[in-house]
Amino acid sequence: MIDTKHEIVFHPEKCVGCGLCYKACFVDVIRWDEENKKPVFKYVEDCEHCFYCESVCKRGAIEVKPNYASERLLQHFDRYR
Amino acid sequence: MKTQVDRKTLSTDVLIAGGGVGGLTAAISIKEIAPELDVLIVEKQTCGYGGKANKGGGVLQYFDLTKMDPWDFVKYHANVIGGFLGDQELLAKYVSMNNHMLDKLTEWGAKVPKNPDGTYNVMPTGPATAIIGVDLDITLKMRRTAEKLGVKIIDKVAITDLLKKDGKIAGATGFSLLDGTFYEITAKAVIMATGSQNYRIGSMWGSGRGDGIAAVYRAGAELRNVEFGNFAQLVRVRSHTEVVYGENFMYNAKGEHITKNFLKEREPDISSKAIREWYWAMTNGTGPVHLRFDSPQSEGGAPLSRLWDRPYGQEFWRLNHERAAAVDTDTEVCPLLIGEQSPIKVGHDMQTTIPGLYAIGDASYCGSAAPGAVPAPPGRNRGSGILNAVFAGISCAESVANHAKSNPLPEVDKEQIEKSFTRVFAPLERESGCTCKDVIRKVQEAMGPMEYSVYMHADRIAQALAIVLEAKALVPQMKAVDFHDLLSCHEAEAMVLSAEMHYRAAEMRKESRGWFLREDYPEMDNKNWLKWIIVKNVDGEMTFSTEDVPIEKWPVKPMA
Ligand SMILES: Cc1cc2nc3c(=O)[nH]c(=O)nc-3n(C[C@H](O)[C@H](O)[C@H](O)COP(=O)(O)OP(=O)(O)OC[C@H]3O[C@@H](n4cnc5c(N)ncnc54)[C@H](O)[C@@H]3O)c2cc1C
Ligand code: SF4
Ligand code: SF4
Repeated sequence: MIDTKHEIVFHPEKCVGCGLCYKACFVDVIRWDEENKKPVFKYVEDCEHCFYCESVCKRGAIEVKPNYASERLLQHFDRYR
Repeated sequence: MKTQVDRKTLSTDVLIAGGGVGGLTAAISIKEIAPELDVLIVEKQTCGYGGKANKGGGVLQYFDLTKMDPWDFVKYHANVIGGFLGDQELLAKYVSMNNHMLDKLTEWGAKVPKNPDGTYNVMPTGPATAIIGVDLDITLKMRRTAEKLGVKIIDKVAITDLLKKDGKIAGATGFSLLDGTFYEITAKAVIMATGSQNYRIGSMWGSGRGDGIAAVYRAGAELRNVEFGNFAQLVRVRSHTEVVYGENFMYNAKGEHITKNFLKEREPDISSKAIREWYWAMTNGTGPVHLRFDSPQSEGGAPLSRLWDRPYGQEFWRLNHERAAAVDTDTEVCPLLIGEQSPIKVGHDMQTTIPGLYAIGDASYCGSAAPGAVPAPPGRNRGSGILNAVFAGISCAESVANHAKSNPLPEVDKEQIEKSFTRVFAPLERESGCTCKDVIRKVQEAMGPMEYSVYMHADRIAQALAIVLEAKALVPQMKAVDFHDLLSCHEAEAMVLSAEMHYRAAEMRKESRGWFLREDYPEMDNKNWLKWIIVKNVDGEMTFSTEDVPIEKWPVKPMA
């Protein structure tokens, strides 16, 4: 997927800096801020809405809000964006 | 050169590019038989989390080898799935190893459910076939096992070019996504476990970007079955969630059960004919197509993911199902291109045509010829993806170990390394140009539409190829803004390569077979096309040739 508009809501106050979400992202959307021990959601436009980061975060600090309509299905019929 | 990066020089006996389930299996298997060898995995994301095995259904194929002969399955597969284009001996070997592979996965820490009496808790799908679940922490457990055995792992480094010396493999180059550090790695043997090509279209399949395939192509190794690289799945039009087996209960706008038009009896998995049926409905005014989940053809039951207790995967599936359910207000479906080109040509020991270079798992599934005329897993053979990667990882180990033991560490060829360095960082050096997304968007326009990539016709192949060539013209103009973007540029170039090879080979194959479907040549042609198409880069030129399938060697033959 490219040019997606999924939203990733991050609650820094719940985050304990375990780094699992950073490791979990399989397409390099999430980077790691070593100084503050917090994830940085740097390339959100490449997010595949796989929910893996949210699923591994045991603190509930991440919520992936998919914008499915921003994903292109590429069929030659207008409504299939 | 304005790009300033550090350089690191490493050497190892065995280098494995890609730390998904295939790469991890190979690493562990090599260490088990030759603990003295240095094994290094270089993974562009994070080994254990990257790749596909931890994002799927976690379903493994099971054969009850006390009740069946592996050749029974080979016979069924050649007739119903692989269209006689498969290497029957290799497939028989895969089936024979089934129980051994499950035992190995369990030994390596994967959670494969068992009954109280110690037997595997399988769900039968036929008299001697079944499926069994594995929890999605499979690759995490395997990473730990690999590390305990002394396998070294480097994360966030992408392998970019292969190095050769006197026609043999000599190592590879790569760069760090985090700070651009350029890696020069000398190795006696290299295993490409970098996955398949999915063109960044289907969510969850987004890690398959074909840059490993492209590196192998540039190095001059042969590729095979490039035209069998397109799988598509029916997805809900709102959430784009795949509906596995949805092809059995497709209804058109007039309420007719259109599955009946292309399926006489239930088949093992979706075929390209289901895609054609959808396309016809959409073009003849009887669309859109809906799935009737309440119809007799829908099994309606729990998704496979929920059949076994798999605590790690359950949270992942719950999130996927719940968020999708919130938008799936109707039951309309359309196809989504999954891709799955997996064309690196390998022999039974997974060695490519370059000595010392191996390719396993999704990178070489079709190139191994084991599955015949279908794309990489699922390839109409559900539960074969993870196990094929495990099979290939185990199958290569002995040959890799022998190669590494009998060859000295190759000398480094500075010229090749500098050439690679310049090529790798070129998109960062450009002052201006297009973006990698401009290129990817075009490739997707050429691959995504079903009437281009799945339901093919000479005219439409020409149209799609023209779009691919527009993308190709942009490749030398791509400008990267950082190292993440730099990797995307190389992946975009690899997508162009895969798409071009696909359409050129698809044009050559004037028949339909397995998943390969042409409107203008709808029949299987065993007289002229029991052949594999081989692609090879000869001094920068993409060349095509054919090789006869040695069907006379194998017991299962097409009916005259
Ligand atoms: C949604 C989904 C559902 C699935 N369901 C099932 C199922 O139920 N059962 C089943 O058996 N199979 C299933 N599969 C298929 C199965 O997951 C794959 O066949 C299998 O994981 C392939 O393993 P692999 O190691 O060959 O490749 P991958 O898992 O793709 O791993 C390749 C690795 O290489 C890395 N890499 C790529 N390029 C480079 C590079 N240039 N340098 C360094 N590293 C690189 C990638 O980041 C990745 O980690 C599913 C797949 C998906 C996506
Ligand atoms: S997984 Fe959760 S707790 Fe851990 S670093 Fe990420 S957001 Fe923070
Ligand atoms: S949802 Fe998936 S792709 Fe998106 S940021 Fe999280 S892990 Fe990465």
